[in-house]
Amino acid sequence: MLEVDHLVTGYGGVPVLHDVSLTLRAGEIVGLLGANNAGKTTLINSLSGMYPPMSGRILFEGQDVTAMTPRQRVELGIIQVPEGRLVFPEMSVRENLLLGGINARARAHRPRQMDHVLELFPRLQERLAQKAGTLSGGEQQMLAIGRGLMAEAKLLMLDEPSLGLSPLFVQYIFGIIDRLHGEGLSILLIEQNLNLTLRHAQRCYVLERGRIAVEGNADTVKDDPRTRRAYLGL
Amino acid sequence: MRQEFYKTLMSPMWLVVLLLAVVVPPLLPSYYLHIVILSLVYVALASAWNIVGGMAGQISLAHSLFIGTGAMLSTALLLKLGVNMWLGLVISAVISGVMGAAIAWIDFRFQLGHLSFVLITLAFAEMGTVIVEGWDFLGGASGLLLPQDKGDFLAFQFGGGIGAFWVMLVLAIASILINVAILNAPLGYYLRTIRDNENAARAIGVNILRYKVAAMVISAMLSSVIGTAYVRYLTFADPYLLVSPIIIIEIVLFATVGGLGRAYGPAFGALLLVPLGEILRGKLGGVLPGLHYFIYGVVVIAVILISPRGLLPPLERWFSRPRAKSAPAE
Amino acid sequence: MTEFLQAMAQGLLIGSTYGLLALGMGLVYGVSGVVNFSHGDFISLGMFLCLALYSAIAMDPYVSLIITVPVMTVLGGLVYWYLLRPMVGHQFLMVVQLTLGLSLVLQNGILMVFGGQPARTPSVVESKLLILGDVVVRVPHVIAFVVSFAMAIGLYVMLRSTDFGRSIRAVHQNAHAAALMGIDVSRVQTLTFALGIGILAIAAALLLPGTPIQPAQGLRYTVITLIVVALGGMTNFVGIMLGGLIIGLSEAFGTIYLSDTLGMLFPYGIFVLIMLFRPQGLTWSSAR
Repeated sequence: MLEVDHLVTGYGGVPVLHDVSLTLRAGEIVGLLGANNAGKTTLINSLSGMYPPMSGRILFEGQDVTAMTPRQRVELGIIQVPEGRLVFPEMSVRENLLLGGINARARAHRPRQMDHVLELFPRLQERLAQKAGTLSGGEQQMLAIGRGLMAEAKLLMLDEPSLGLSPLFVQYIFGIIDRLHGEGLSILLIEQNLNLTLRHAQRCYVLERGRIAVEGNADTVKDDPRTRRAYLGL
Repeated sequence: MRQEFYKTLMSPMWLVVLLLAVVVPPLLPSYYLHIVILSLVYVALASAWNIVGGMAGQISLAHSLFIGTGAMLSTALLLKLGVNMWLGLVISAVISGVMGAAIAWIDFRFQLGHLSFVLITLAFAEMGTVIVEGWDFLGGASGLLLPQDKGDFLAFQFGGGIGAFWVMLVLAIASILINVAILNAPLGYYLRTIRDNENAARAIGVNILRYKVAAMVISAMLSSVIGTAYVRYLTFADPYLLVSPIIIIEIVLFATVGGLGRAYGPAFGALLLVPLGEILRGKLGGVLPGLHYFIYGVVVIAVILISPRGLLPPLERWFSRPRAKSAPAE
Repeated sequence: MTEFLQAMAQGLLIGSTYGLLALGMGLVYGVSGVVNFSHGDFISLGMFLCLALYSAIAMDPYVSLIITVPVMTVLGGLVYWYLLRPMVGHQFLMVVQLTLGLSLVLQNGILMVFGGQPARTPSVVESKLLILGDVVVRVPHVIAFVVSFAMAIGLYVMLRSTDFGRSIRAVHQNAHAAALMGIDVSRVQTLTFALGIGILAIAAALLLPGTPIQPAQGLRYTVITLIVVALGGMTNFVGIMLGGLIIGLSEAFGTIYLSDTLGMLFPYGIFVLIMLFRPQGLTWSSAR
């Protein structure tokens, strides 16, 4: 479903990602691992269309999307749940969700999607009128994911969903991720938490300083010594 | 004081400037000499303002007060009280310094936001205009006429023309060098820290008040001195020109277009826009009211769109082009 | 006492229009970070367009809105797209200088076309008066008040209840996240600016009856708008409307009780006092 071919991208003429290639098949959960500045967020932002690549291609469902704007990618169903949640703080939970479904394709089904999301996250139903900035970290994560789902995602990309959450919430969120996977959603999961990702993803890529250091299914990656090294910078 | 300051001081560039300054002015017809002198005045004023506006990040529109004080007060003191203009220059500078310190203190004490600071300094500038235009001692709305410039240096006279040129050149260079000095001294470092993130600066213990006051006082006194020299050159102290906010709005334009916060930025801005404005006015002023300003506005927009980071980056790029003709391998 | 009520009425009436002017500027600032220093000159442009239409086909200023609003809205969109959008991300003051250049162009363009003599555009309702008890108000001021408030309410409803309004607020609160929702940030910024200029076209027609106009007046409106926006904490809807009323009232009280010139400075004085003692302006919990 998603194919990244030899992607080189960065800012201000300086490449951050060097020759990155990865694939994601429909219905898979693929994990993207790596230490702090390995380039994970740059990669996910490139997939969302935030930076034009310096070279390489991105293909989605067979279509070359490399030159497409962020808006066009959202219309195709490539949806990002950003690091740090980035909910709209002064808007209510309901308004945040409405905004999630603002793209043309999703807008027609917004009421139905809203019901689906609220059923998935009952906590949000309770807080519908509350300002998003006043929610707890875990609730904001629920809202961010819900917002992403409102967009009728075909590929949902999650950037560090476990960041700053209590273990209980992390468990809950990943339970949701599994459930979405069960419903057939393709998921790209970026996480620093190695073990958590290995437990939920079918395949993983490990990024080290802008390059893919290791790739394979969860076990392969787990046993590969290069993985630990990429994380610990050894 | 960092090495860069001494390097700049010793730069061969000044020799070129000196050479041009000796050779060119005597050859220029007086109209063009006037444009050169005017450009130097604004180089000096824009560089002086840069200390507060560019380095400290405070967009002060109150500088017309300092320039106006330097111009009107020293003139009034000479004409009404017979005070030698050199002394008048010093008195005006000191008063400007005090006003500047007061404004900096108000900004600090009341924690003004950026737009508020702009508007409040504008308020002060407008009040200053009203005061000057209503006060006969300072010439009222009709201004003051200085005695003819006969070149008596002790009486603060420079002989018009070439003499004024040298005075303005010295002031312009001094103003730029003060910029360079500050940028390479601890003061410059603190000002930039305050400009980029005042809250963070406060959190690490930077004495915000002291440095804001320092920047404002230096800038105000310098502006005042330039104002006094400028009015001597003009011979007529016109409050509309020297006290109203128009002069500071022009200065901010030159400083910004040239490059805020850089030592030479405002100078280039003035050197581009002052002659442009004067020549447009000269050639087109009578043709159709508003035409010359219209074109001036278009040029300003174009320059900014073409060079949005100021005039220095393209100039720097041009000067550091790899020299195609030099030896192939280094 | 009548004088007091008179000043009160006048102040509220004109203040609501000042608030409307400032809302346009506040919206643009919130969405694109641009403070348009040619704001007043667009108002001027609107007024002179009304004058031109009146001279050419004897069209009443209120009626000419049918033409001036679309024209100015499109102009606003073009100005943003070609002049301001390339400046996104650049130094704030540089963008301000560009708008000052634009101010020169507008002001002097008007001067070249219309000449410098003050002109008046009569309106059908110009000299009609409304008498409420002891207070005499001019009908154009009442119309200005009603329309300004109606538009302010309309804007508020648009921001709260429409997708476009929500995308404006989203871009203001987090442009990156807004882009991730598929919102075309540039488009929102352009449309908001165009909307702001369209509002100015309406405001121009509201302010026009009974006012002699000249090309250089733009600056005065720009400064008033800046003051009101600053009072309103830059983007706070209610704060801005309130700021408009306060400035309107202080101008009215100033001119009625003090002299004309001092009366113009009085709002300034009030502004300085408020900002000194409440630097965040008239904001309280967000009406964003």
